[in-house]
Amino acid sequence: MGLKAPAKAAAKITQGILRLMGRGATTLPGRVAISLCPDIIRKCAQGKKIITITGTNGKTTTTHMITSMLRSLGYEVITNVSGANLPSGIATTFLCEKPARGVTPDKIVYVLETDEAAFARIAKDLQPKICLVTNLFRDQLDRYGELTHTRDLIAKGIDETSARMVLNADDSLVASMGKTREGRATYFGLSLNTMLENNRLHPDNTILAASSDATFCPDCGVRYNYNATSFGHLGDFECPSCGFRTPDKRYELSYDASGNPSDEGFEFDMTDTGTGTTCSMTLKIAGSHNLYNTCAAVAAVTEFLKSENEGDEDKLFEQACRSQGSVEAAFGRMEKIAVGDKYICILLVKNPVGLDRSLSFVAQSSDADSLMLVLNSNAADGRDVSWIWDVDFESKAKDLPGNIYVSGQRYGDMMLRVAYSGRNIDGYGSLEYATTLLKCALSDCPAGKCIYILPNYTAMLDLRGRLVKELKLKDFWKD
Amino acid sequence: MQEKLVIGHFYPDLLNLYGDRGNVLALMRRAQLRGIEVEVRRISIGDNVSNGDIDIGFIGGGQDCEQNIMADDMRNVKGEVIKQMIEDGVVFLTVCGGYQMLGRYYEEHDGKRIECLGALPHYTKGEKDRFINDTIYEIETDGQTVTVAGFENHSGRTYLGEGQKPFMKVIKGHGNNGEDGYEGTRYKNTFGTYSHGSLLPKNPVITDMLLSLALKRKYGEDYELPELSTETEDLARKQAIDYINGKEGKASQ
Repeated sequence: MGLKAPAKAAAKITQGILRLMGRGATTLPGRVAISLCPDIIRKCAQGKKIITITGTNGKTTTTHMITSMLRSLGYEVITNVSGANLPSGIATTFLCEKPARGVTPDKIVYVLETDEAAFARIAKDLQPKICLVTNLFRDQLDRYGELTHTRDLIAKGIDETSARMVLNADDSLVASMGKTREGRATYFGLSLNTMLENNRLHPDNTILAASSDATFCPDCGVRYNYNATSFGHLGDFECPSCGFRTPDKRYELSYDASGNPSDEGFEFDMTDTGTGTTCSMTLKIAGSHNLYNTCAAVAAVTEFLKSENEGDEDKLFEQACRSQGSVEAAFGRMEKIAVGDKYICILLVKNPVGLDRSLSFVAQSSDADSLMLVLNSNAADGRDVSWIWDVDFESKAKDLPGNIYVSGQRYGDMMLRVAYSGRNIDGYGSLEYATTLLKCALSDCPAGKCIYILPNYTAMLDLRGRLVKELKLKDFWKD
Repeated sequence: MQEKLVIGHFYPDLLNLYGDRGNVLALMRRAQLRGIEVEVRRISIGDNVSNGDIDIGFIGGGQDCEQNIMADDMRNVKGEVIKQMIEDGVVFLTVCGGYQMLGRYYEEHDGKRIECLGALPHYTKGEKDRFINDTIYEIETDGQTVTVAGFENHSGRTYLGEGQKPFMKVIKGHGNNGEDGYEGTRYKNTFGTYSHGSLLPKNPVITDMLLSLALKRKYGEDYELPELSTETEDLARKQAIDYINGKEGKASQ
C-alpha cells in the first residue's frame, strides 16, 4: 500500500481549502486521508512517542496540561485540538501538524486526547508508550450505553499495546482495569487523609443523593464500602466480597481541606510514594476536579520521563512537578474573557458529573455574579436531557450566584430544573436570546466580577459564534 | 392536620439511569409546597420494607449490569411484598426497567427468557434497535385530555396482557411496542411507563394525580389536594413540545 503520500497530500489540500473557507480544519482532512489509506494512522504513528489520554471527563484539560508540561521540559509536542479526538481528528493531527524545523526526532512527543470508543479501535495502530485513563462517568447514554462496556473497550485497546497504564485509583471502574495487568499499571489519586478530612469538614447535606454509577462491584454485585469519598463514585472503596480495593497510589495528591480549590493559586502537595518525594505546588486551573486532572498529568509526565531517562526517579518526579507551573487555562476550560472591566467564563459541561463539578465550582467562586446555563439536545449533546435531573442542584442552590439565566434549545427543561432546586430565574429564552440575556447579565454585573456560562457541547459552539458576531468579542477560540 | 407521605425509592443506587431522581424530586416538591411532610426512604439491597411502610413507591431503570444485581434481590427478597402493596392499592410509579420488571418476563432477542415479578400480566421482548426519541402522549384525567411530554430510550417491546389497561396514548414516539399506539400501563394505583425526561417535573398533572391517589388512600376519599400553580411546569412542557414539533430552537450555525 503506497498510499500514504497521496493520502497526506489530499489531507493537506483539504485542510488548505477548509482554512480558505474560514472553517476549522480539525477532522475532515483526516477523514479524507483515512478513506484513501485506511491504515494511515498506523503508518503515521510508527516509531513515534505517543501518550494517549482517554476517559469520560477531563481529557481535554489533562491533554492540555501534559502538553504544556512537556513543552516546558524541552520537548516538541504535537497534540490534537480540543474535541478532535476521533480517528479522523487524530489522523488530521499526524498529517497536518508539523514539528518545528531542526528538532531531533527523539524530542518529539505526540500527546493525543482519544475518545473512549475510538481508543479501542486505534490503540493497536498508535502503540502508545503511556495510556492515561482519567475516569469513567456516565456520559451521553443514548450514545455509548454501559459504563462497564466502555471500560472493557478501553481495556481491549490497551491489551493490543505494551503501553504503561496510568490509572485513576479512586475510580473503581478505571482501577479495575489494572487488576489483571498489575505489572503495567501505575495509579494516581487523592490521599485518603485528604478525602477523610474533606468529608469531615464538608458533610453531605443533600436531601436526595445525586445519581451515581459504579457504586457496586461489577464482578460480585455487592455494594462497595467507602472509607471516604471525593465526588461522584470516586473515593477510597473496598468490595466486601472479593476484597478489590483502591489500589496503592504511586502519585498522591493531598491538600488542606479547609482551603478552597475554586480559588486561583490554591496550594497542594504531590507525593511520589515510591521514592517518598513530596513537592509543593500551585493549582493552575481552578476547580476541585482539576486537582485530579493535575495529579493525572503529573503521573503521566513522570512515567513518560522514566521511560525516556535512566536518571533518579525522585529527580524525574520533581521535574514533572516543576513543569506544572507552566500550565495556563485554555479557552472553554476555565479561561476568563474580559468584557470591559467585567469577565465571562465558559465552562463546558457534557454530563452529570461535569455539571455537578462546575456548579460546585461556581458556588464556591468569590467573583461569581451570575450563572447562565445553556442546554442543547443535538445528537452530539445527547438528545435526551433527563440527565440534568441526576445532578444534585439542591445542595448547591443557595450558594449559586444571585442571578441565574437560562438558554439553549431546551431552556424550558433547564429553567424547570433550576426552579425545582428552589431558585428563581432572572431571564430565559431560546438561543436567539442568549446574547440578549448575557448583555442583561453584564449590565448588572459589578466591575471585576464574572458571569459563569455553563453550556453543553453544541450550545458552546453556537454561543461562541454569537459572542463574536453579536457581542463583538474577538475570536478568542484558537484551534 | 399535618399530612405526611412516605416515598419508597427502590434501588436508587442501582436504578437511576434516566433522570429517575427528577421524578422523586417532583413528588417531594409538589407535596412540600402544599405543606405536606415528605420522607424519602431508600429501599435497596439490604434494606427491608413491609406493606404499610410507604405511600408511594418509585422504581426506575438501570444499566444491564446494575439491573441484573437488582433483579435477583427483587425476585428473591422484595418481590412478594411489592406484589402485595400493588394489590392493596399502594401508589407505584415504575419507569423503563422497573416497568418491565413488574411484568411476567423479559425475552432477550436471542430468545433467552428472564423471569420477572409477574405482578402485572404484560411481557417484554428485546429487539436489537432501540427507540430513542422525544415523545408526546395524551392522557385522560378528570374527563379532560392532557398532553404529556417525555423521552423514550428502550430496546424492549412491551405487550399488555388481556384486559390490561394502557396509561397513555402515543401522539409522537413509539410507546410500549411501536405497534398499538399506547404507552405504559395502569393497574389499580400502579403505573408503568417508558417515559422519562424526567416524566413528572414537566407533567405536573401526573405528579398531582399520584399525590392525590396516595393521600386519598391514606386520609380518606374526601381528601382534596390543595390547589398549586403549574405555571412554571406548563411553560417548560410547552417549550419542550414546541421544540419537539420543530417550532423553535434550531441552532444558529
